[in-house]
Amino acid sequence: MTPRVAPLGGYAVYVELCREVSLECNRRVHALYYALSSRAGDLGVTEVVPAYSSLTIFYDPRRVRWREIARAVEELVRDAEVFTPPPPRSFMIPVVYGGEYGPDLERAASMRGLSVDEFVRIHTSRVYTCYMLGFTPGFLYLGDVDPRIAVPRLETPRERVPRGSVGIAGRQTGLYGIESPGGWRIIGRTPVVTFDPRRDPPIPIRPGDRVRFYEIGEDEYRELEGVWIEEVQ
Amino acid sequence: MPKLEVLNTVLATIQDIGRYGYRSLGVPVSGALDRSSAVQANVLVGNPPGAPLVESFGPIMLRALSDSIVAVTGALTRIAIDGRAVAEYRPLWLPKGSVLEVGPPILGQVIYVAVAGRISCDEVMGSCSTYTRGGFGGLGGRPLRPGDVIEASLGGQRLEDLWSSISTRYVPEEGRVAYRLRQGVVLRVTPGPHRGVLSDDDWGRLLSETYTVAPESDRMGFRLRGPPLESAKRLGRLPSFPVDRGFVQVPPAGTPIVLMADAQTTGGYAVVAVVVPPDTDLLAQCPPGTPVRFAELGVDEAEDVTAQYLSYLESPEVSEVGPGFSEYDAYV
Repeated sequence: MTPRVAPLGGYAVYVELCREVSLECNRRVHALYYALSSRAGDLGVTEVVPAYSSLTIFYDPRRVRWREIARAVEELVRDAEVFTPPPPRSFMIPVVYGGEYGPDLERAASMRGLSVDEFVRIHTSRVYTCYMLGFTPGFLYLGDVDPRIAVPRLETPRERVPRGSVGIAGRQTGLYGIESPGGWRIIGRTPVVTFDPRRDPPIPIRPGDRVRFYEIGEDEYRELEGVWIEEVQ
Repeated sequence: MPKLEVLNTVLATIQDIGRYGYRSLGVPVSGALDRSSAVQANVLVGNPPGAPLVESFGPIMLRALSDSIVAVTGALTRIAIDGRAVAEYRPLWLPKGSVLEVGPPILGQVIYVAVAGRISCDEVMGSCSTYTRGGFGGLGGRPLRPGDVIEASLGGQRLEDLWSSISTRYVPEEGRVAYRLRQGVVLRVTPGPHRGVLSDDDWGRLLSETYTVAPESDRMGFRLRGPPLESAKRLGRLPSFPVDRGFVQVPPAGTPIVLMADAQTTGGYAVVAVVVPPDTDLLAQCPPGTPVRFAELGVDEAEDVTAQYLSYLESPEVSEVGPGFSEYDAYV
C-alpha cells in the first residue's frame, strides 16, 4: 500500500501507513521509524516519532524540503528489507493486582463475567508488543489484550493516576510512567521504575519491544519498590 | 558569580530552547513559549541564544545577592531597579542588594529574564526546561517560588569585562513582540493531516472567523473560542498519532486547540491545520480574550518562513546603541 504523506507547517511530514490499528501495520511503522532514524543525519531529519499506524518526521527546511523526504519515504517503503525492525527486547513487569493498586479490577472482571483471578490470569498469560510510547513521558501502549478482558475507558477520567499503574482501554493495556490524569481502567500497579528522567534513555523499553506482566504480592511490592526495570536476557 | 533570589512570582519557570530527541519516548519538547523573545534576552546578556532563563507569567521580583547582569524581554511591561524605571530589551547592571521589579504585562503575557552566565538547573535529557507535569527540569521540576536562588556561572570571565562588551546592546522597537502584537495576531497555517475531514465551508470558517484565546489555556495548549467546526465533530477519536507544538486540534466540541510547548507527544483528535513555528511565539503572547485569526500559507512559503525563523533562533540580531540614544526611547 502506498503511504499517505502530508507536509505540515513547513517543518514536519506526516506519514500514515494504514488506517487501522494492527500489530502488522504497527510493525511496519517501527521498521520505517528505525530505517529513517538511522538515515536521519543524511536526510536532514531532526527527529522521527512513531505511533500506531503513522509517524511524524521533523526536518530542518534549511537542509531539506518535504518533497525529498516524501521521496525517501516512498523508496524506503518500496524496499521490502527495511521492513525488518531490530529484534525486539523483552521485559518482565511485576504487578500487584486489585485493591488500592488496581481500583478498577473488580468492576472490570464483573463487566466481563470473570472472576478476579481469571481476569488476572488472562492478563498475565500474554506477551504484549509495545505499539508506541506517548501521551505522557514513558506511557506504554501495549497490546493486544485477549478480547475476554477488553473493557472500555472510564466515562470520567481520573485526575490523578499513580506512577506504575497498569490499565486497560479496549484491546490495549498500558502503563503510566509518571503520575498523570488518565481514563484507563486501572487493574494493578508495578513497584519497579520504568521511567527516570535522570537516566539516558529515561526508559529502556522502545517501540516494538515485548512486555509481559506477572503477579506479585504486597510484600514483594515493598521489596521491589523503586528498583529500575531491567531487560530480560 | 551572578546570583539572584526570587522574592515574588505568579507563575515562573526555568526554560531553554527545548528538549529534543525524546518524543518517541513520550517526552514533550517544552522550552520557552515565545522562543524569539527568549533568544533575544539571552543574546542581550551575552549568553548562547538557547540558554536557560526565567519565563514568567505576570510580575516577578528578584534581588541580586551579588552583582549581576540581566535583560528583560517579551511582553511590554514596566521594570524598575530599586524603584527607578529602567528599559526592557537592554542589558541591566544589578548591583548586589538591589531589587529588580518586573511589573504586570501591559501588552503580551510572557516575560523573559535572562541572567548573564550559565544558570544552574537540573539538566535532564539535554535540557534545563521545566516540565512541571513530569516534575523534571529547571529547579526541581517545579515553578519558582520565593526564596529560590538562581546562580549563574561566568566560567572565569569578569562581570565588568562582560558588561563593557555588551552594555550598548538593545533590540529596536520593530524587533520586539509587542510591535507584532500591535499589528493584530494572524496565525499562518498549512493544512493539517485531517484537513480532508473538514467541509469546505468549515475550512473557510476557520480562515475567516475571528477566534479569541480562552482562559483555560496553558503551556500545553491554547484553547480558542469561536464558531465550532461541525464537520470535525463527526470524526471523534482517532488512533493516537504524533502531534507537536502548533498543531491545531479539533476535539468533539468543535472549537480548536493550538498545541504549545508542553504539548503531549501523541494525540487522538483531528488535526486540521498546523501553525508555522514563528507564529506560535506570537500566540504565546496572547492573554485570554485576545482576538486571533488564521491565514493559509503554501507549504513552500511555510518552509521558507521556518528556515528563516530557525536561523534567527540560532543567531538573533541585536543592535548597538549609538550617541544620542535615549533610554526613554527604548523604554517607550
